[in-house]
Amino acid sequence: MNQEQIKMLIDAFAASDLSMLEFSENGCTLRLARRGAALPAAGGEASAPVVAAPVPAPAADAAAVAAADDTTAAPPPGPAPTADVTAPLYGVVHLRPAPGEPDFVQAGEAVEAGRTLCVVEAMKVFNEVHAPRGATIASVLVESGQEVDAGQVLFRLG
Amino acid sequence: MPAPFDTVLIANRGEIALRIQRACRGLGLRTVVAHSEADRDAVYVAQADQALCIGPAAPGRSYLNQTALLFAAEVSGAQAIHPGYGFLSENAGFAERVERAGLTFVGPSAAAIRTMGDKVAAKRAMREAGVPCVPGPDTALPEDPDAVRALARDIGYPVIVKAAGGGGGRGMRVVEAEAGLLDALALTREEARRAFGNPEVYIEKFLLHPRHVEIQVLADSHGAAVWLGSRDCSLQRRHQKVIEEAPAPGIDPALIAEVGERCAAACRRIGYCGVGTFEFLYERGAFYFIEMNTRLQVEHPVTEATTGIDIVQQQLRVARGEALAFAQADVPCRGHAIECRVNAEDPATFAPSPGLVTGWRVPGGFGVRVDSHAHAGYRVPPHYDSMIAKLIVHGTDRADALARMRLALSEMRVEGIATNLALHRELLDDAGFAAGGVDIHHLERWLAARSAAR
Repeated sequence: MNQEQIKMLIDAFAASDLSMLEFSENGCTLRLARRGAALPAAGGEASAPVVAAPVPAPAADAAAVAAADDTTAAPPPGPAPTADVTAPLYGVVHLRPAPGEPDFVQAGEAVEAGRTLCVVEAMKVFNEVHAPRGATIASVLVESGQEVDAGQVLFRLG
Repeated sequence: MPAPFDTVLIANRGEIALRIQRACRGLGLRTVVAHSEADRDAVYVAQADQALCIGPAAPGRSYLNQTALLFAAEVSGAQAIHPGYGFLSENAGFAERVERAGLTFVGPSAAAIRTMGDKVAAKRAMREAGVPCVPGPDTALPEDPDAVRALARDIGYPVIVKAAGGGGGRGMRVVEAEAGLLDALALTREEARRAFGNPEVYIEKFLLHPRHVEIQVLADSHGAAVWLGSRDCSLQRRHQKVIEEAPAPGIDPALIAEVGERCAAACRRIGYCGVGTFEFLYERGAFYFIEMNTRLQVEHPVTEATTGIDIVQQQLRVARGEALAFAQADVPCRGHAIECRVNAEDPATFAPSPGLVTGWRVPGGFGVRVDSHAHAGYRVPPHYDSMIAKLIVHGTDRADALARMRLALSEMRVEGIATNLALHRELLDDAGFAAGGVDIHHLERWLAARSAAR
């Protein structure tokens, strides 16, 4: 199971009305569940998919695994919180301000509204992507330097 | 040393890679295209005698990767490298490595690139050759604040502080009065040190309403040099040219000829070989040299239209060691040509718009030329600049060229992505541009007025 596959499954799951999805391949199992479904989660109403721990977890899937620790994070206050941060346009995503510097944010980190999460570069123009609200970064779904489509999910917020 | 070659490695992408490929094929030369992963489906890649993927999409790991390009030349047997514009075209270190590898760099010598890349050295060389320059010393500014203040006072405010390693609108700061001079100096120095690795700055008179007028030159390796006419590229936004034309309208041809002759003489004096452009500011009937570009330029087709000379073929010929086959008296200036740069960007906000081109209809007819690598089904990558096509028209005079451009713009359709075609249509209807001779701030003023009106 590679990261692409996991992302695809997450997207397919998010678009469906399923409450739980389990996928096994070559001895790896990925279990996806919505808040309030099978897994213990605090935010009952939020419909954001939550990634449960794949068992056993291949090392390359660290980004997806990291999210597993956040299933118990408290739901953010405020009405109808958006769970995803998406790319504003087709471009190249940069997770750090400059090569060699630390990432703008780490999975598991709490961020305030307006905090710069990443930069999407298109044709030499740099577009900062900000946190829409105060939240915890549940997972980072992209790698720095990768091409992203407009609307593609970059971060999941807890 | 120039040497005959039969295979050219094209170290660039997009429309200029296709333009160079056409010139090579016209001369019976084989082409090797070095491309990134993002450009593997490009039309010029398919048309190349050989294509080599040299790295990922990011320019730093492909089109700017000197080692990969030299290796591509070695394995393909190419004896010459054409750098196009941008990327490594004005990188003296790369030209040197190409020369050291026993290959031909299609461009001037590394030494010439280095001299012209240092804007202070370039200014000094041009002044020695009798090319008129912007008032101000052709030496870097001293450290002593009093000496700097005295220099600025001599020139007269406003002045502009420029980085010696800058150019193309980068690394400069306007100073209106003495109170702001030393701060501007310190800031520009620090920026220059970080951006160009060279903290040297110099100072010039800041002209308030200049036009951008440039002279195209062509020189061979046997000491001959000609100038191919003037271009006006005053329509700019953030130092990026949007529309160019040839010749520069409303300037006495005798004055242009005098300046052009000095440019050609400067080429002969410094032993320049290849194509090049002398950029000038033009204000109140006088020319002021600002910098020389030691490469092929985006807007070269307007000069091709008015002279009938294939500039890229000539560039390849002189790189092969051929002598120029014509003299200055053989260079005509017929009619008028205009070029619109078609960019994948929003015509109102200028937000970039890469993505899939779903519909592509280009104009045609008498006097119309479209240089583009794009087509329906082409995906404009987000990794490079936004220019996807150049629309060039030629008419018997400026009014004829304007009319032809309006017609061509009305025919052109690009679907799937946003383009600045709508902006071009509006600009062609602007009374100021239609009258000719607007200054370099005209477009920014026009845009400000437009957004205020909306």
